[in-house]
Amino acid sequence: MTDLRHLRNIGISAHIDSGKTTLSERILYYTNKIHEVHEVRGKDGVGATMDSMELERERGITIASAATNVVWKGNEINVIDTPGHVDFTIEVERSLRVLDGAILVLCSVGGVQSQSITVDRQMKRYKVPRIAFVNKCDRTGANPYKVKNQLIEKLGLNALMMQIPIGLEDRLEGVVDLVAMKALYFDAGPNMDQLREAEIPAKLLAEARQKREELLDGVSLLSDALMEAMLEDAVTEEILIKAIREATISLQMVPVFIGSAYRNKGIPPLLDAVVKYLPNPSDVTNIALDLDNDEEEVALVADDEMPTVALAFKLEDGQYGQLTYIRIYQGKIRKGDELYNTRTRRKFRVGRLIRMHADTMEDLSEAGCGEIAALFGIDCASGDTFCDPKLNYSMSSMYVPKPVISLAVHPVDKKASDNMAKALNRFTKEDPTFRTFVDPESNQTIIQGMGELHLEVYVERMKREYKALVEVGRPEVAYREAITQRADFIYTHKKQTGGSGQYAKVAGYIEPLVSTGDDGEEADYEFVDEIKGGTIPTEFIPSCDKGFQLAMKKGTQVGFPIIGVRVVINDGAYHAVDSSDQAFQTAALGAFREAFENAKPVILEPLMKVEVVAPNEFQGSVFASINQRRGVIISSNEDNQATTVFAEVPLSEMFGYSTILRSLTQGKGEFTMELSKYGRVPASVAENLRKEYAEKRRQVQK
Amino acid sequence: MEIHELNELSPLRVFDESLGGGLGRGNLGVLVSRHGVGKTACLVHLATDRLLHGEYVIHVSFSGNVEHVINWYKEVFREVAEGRSLDDAATVYNNILSNRVVMNFSQENVTIDKVLSSLETLIKHGSFKADAILFDGYKLTVATEEDVRKIKEFAQKMNLEVWFSVSPVRSDAMYDKYGVPDSMGKYVDLIDVLIGLVYNEELDKVVMTAVKAPGEIMEKPMGVSLDPKTMLISK
Repeated sequence: MTDLRHLRNIGISAHIDSGKTTLSERILYYTNKIHEVHEVRGKDGVGATMDSMELERERGITIASAATNVVWKGNEINVIDTPGHVDFTIEVERSLRVLDGAILVLCSVGGVQSQSITVDRQMKRYKVPRIAFVNKCDRTGANPYKVKNQLIEKLGLNALMMQIPIGLEDRLEGVVDLVAMKALYFDAGPNMDQLREAEIPAKLLAEARQKREELLDGVSLLSDALMEAMLEDAVTEEILIKAIREATISLQMVPVFIGSAYRNKGIPPLLDAVVKYLPNPSDVTNIALDLDNDEEEVALVADDEMPTVALAFKLEDGQYGQLTYIRIYQGKIRKGDELYNTRTRRKFRVGRLIRMHADTMEDLSEAGCGEIAALFGIDCASGDTFCDPKLNYSMSSMYVPKPVISLAVHPVDKKASDNMAKALNRFTKEDPTFRTFVDPESNQTIIQGMGELHLEVYVERMKREYKALVEVGRPEVAYREAITQRADFIYTHKKQTGGSGQYAKVAGYIEPLVSTGDDGEEADYEFVDEIKGGTIPTEFIPSCDKGFQLAMKKGTQVGFPIIGVRVVINDGAYHAVDSSDQAFQTAALGAFREAFENAKPVILEPLMKVEVVAPNEFQGSVFASINQRRGVIISSNEDNQATTVFAEVPLSEMFGYSTILRSLTQGKGEFTMELSKYGRVPASVAENLRKEYAEKRRQVQK
Repeated sequence: MEIHELNELSPLRVFDESLGGGLGRGNLGVLVSRHGVGKTACLVHLATDRLLHGEYVIHVSFSGNVEHVINWYKEVFREVAEGRSLDDAATVYNNILSNRVVMNFSQENVTIDKVLSSLETLIKHGSFKADAILFDGYKLTVATEEDVRKIKEFAQKMNLEVWFSVSPVRSDAMYDKYGVPDSMGKYVDLIDVLIGLVYNEELDKVVMTAVKAPGEIMEKPMGVSLDPKTMLISK
């Protein structure tokens, strides 16, 4: 059982060239070495002579797993892989949820680049406390202070230097720790990582004192305890560390560390900092939704004795079958425990429970709250919540938005077809907003999702990860049809010439269903039976209901489902012999189609909530691009660097927007979008859609 | 009730009348009081009234919390619509939303030039034909005369109304009996309408006094006050 105070779940996130991989590897090296010294050296003494790269190759250190468990000075650190692609997808969201803190890696030369901005924005969104590591301080042109200032200016973070460099560029020898006021040298020795503590060199003393003052001033604004200690001139290392820790966890400051992962400079103090300043699982409040109580928010308690709640955040196909990575938020999981998957509503038993280390896999008999573990052979999707069978919680809302865009995909050959099937099966498990089906009319495989980019990512993954080469069709918007006024119907279905006849008559009206909910969420269909005196026999009422629903599946304007209709039947007629279930269904279908034409039908289209971020100088282009797309600007927010524009834009107008935005903003703008609601298509656009649909139908009939 | 009926019965008509017909395009209007008297709600009520007349409004805020401002609009509209049982309120609300943009500046020490240039960008490139601009929380009392002059010129060039809600930055500001701080004095010539808000304990209401109306210096109660519960302008 792990004491939570000695557990950290962190991510490392960075711009592509800032050395994330090297840093991750060095972290594994340094943490692993503790074991290696005892285990490996004794056998054949390899550790002493190899350089780091060879060592890594030899040991097969991997950072490929979704979560790697390392130990640093008696503290367990789970290093969680954050996906490389920065598109705001459900996968990124999940990996950010399981982190309690992060190291933001920056290049000492390149500084804050556009991707760092994106990554940082995601961290802000999920309130992830972070420390910064200015890497590559050995490179020509290294300037950690410049990077710190960019953190302040470009990211709006309260960044404070925790160290100053001893030498820079090729003369980087070590750092001065401003908290302990000690010099730390990372001497190149046989173990290439000997850490030597010493007095601060005289030539740096004045600068170190001044920077420490800056640090104290900055932190004291955030901590009364430190402020008091300063006034009494009684600042101890302990008080300062505590103040920095609290400020970091409450997202009020970002401590900045420096070094060079490649040259093995500055890694041990960074690991110390992870332990000192990033939160442990009990410092963070996690929220679950109670599915038995209208998704009411429940705060989870980091206590092993409470009923279990865990999130499956990543699936991996390994040689032993499906490995499911989980983060336990509350309670513990033991081998043999029964757990309840709240999405599938199925219970299952925990078989093999393991933990991934850099080079080994460890079997566990139990894992406590706050921990990251993995389960073998569980049939589930990522994002599923596993609970004690007494609970019915979900870590994320069970509400899955309906897809708004679809795309036909066609495999180029038989092999691609098999691979595509595998890929699609996998994606639908990973991402509930991604759907796929075979269109019965065209016999094409259709994939559906939340936006053009969303589907593009999956098509790309099909090619890259599954070698499924596919041709893609034109993206299509999921329109809806609706009515705007009441219309009456009296409809007789009659076929009484020869053989068994059919007879049914229905009368009533259809009218728009007015939104009831606060957010204008509309019910799709309501059926009201006002038949008096048995003009339609009771047994045929469900037949009418069925017929109306059938009619609603495909509207007559553009062939998309009709929503928001109340159907009321109040009269009708039947025939003792010729009336049947089928006859009333057909009558209802005909009646609906007739009335629909008279109810001033309209076409609805998905309106997307669009968020565009671009440097301030491109504000005009962004406003104009939204305006040209029939968009409505809701609000904008401008800070020192960038303008964020929130708008509502029809999905059909957003095709190709990522390319256009890139060219409008010299590659510096980006956007995200999600479904906001369905809105009425303007008359002129609707007319074109109707014509296109009519044309398509003519083609099919030929 | 239909929109035009609601508009006719609105306490804002009394408000406009007290000013001799409203603020008017090209003019600057200021609502001033101590902190926490309810200026934002009052400003949003003014904006909502313009929106219900089919006009276009830009709400400029400096708080960094756009969501907060948008919620104010939601609340104020709800109060106004429910109070008069407005027909088809949900549709009306959706329609007026597309005529309102909230523009937030979270820059430190943002200059008025930057604000005006962003506003102009929105009006021109975003094709947003604003009829009124509301500055919520702009530190007018520390702005220079030059700044205020620029805003005035902008209002005239763009032919729109500009409203400010102002609370003094300095804690030692002196207030007169209408709630107007002494630091406002230097701008009186540049602004066209100045309304002081002050809480009156006896009435349990925030009393509004027009200290200046277009073309005249006057000191008269406005015939409207702020409802202490909803913070809306009421008769």
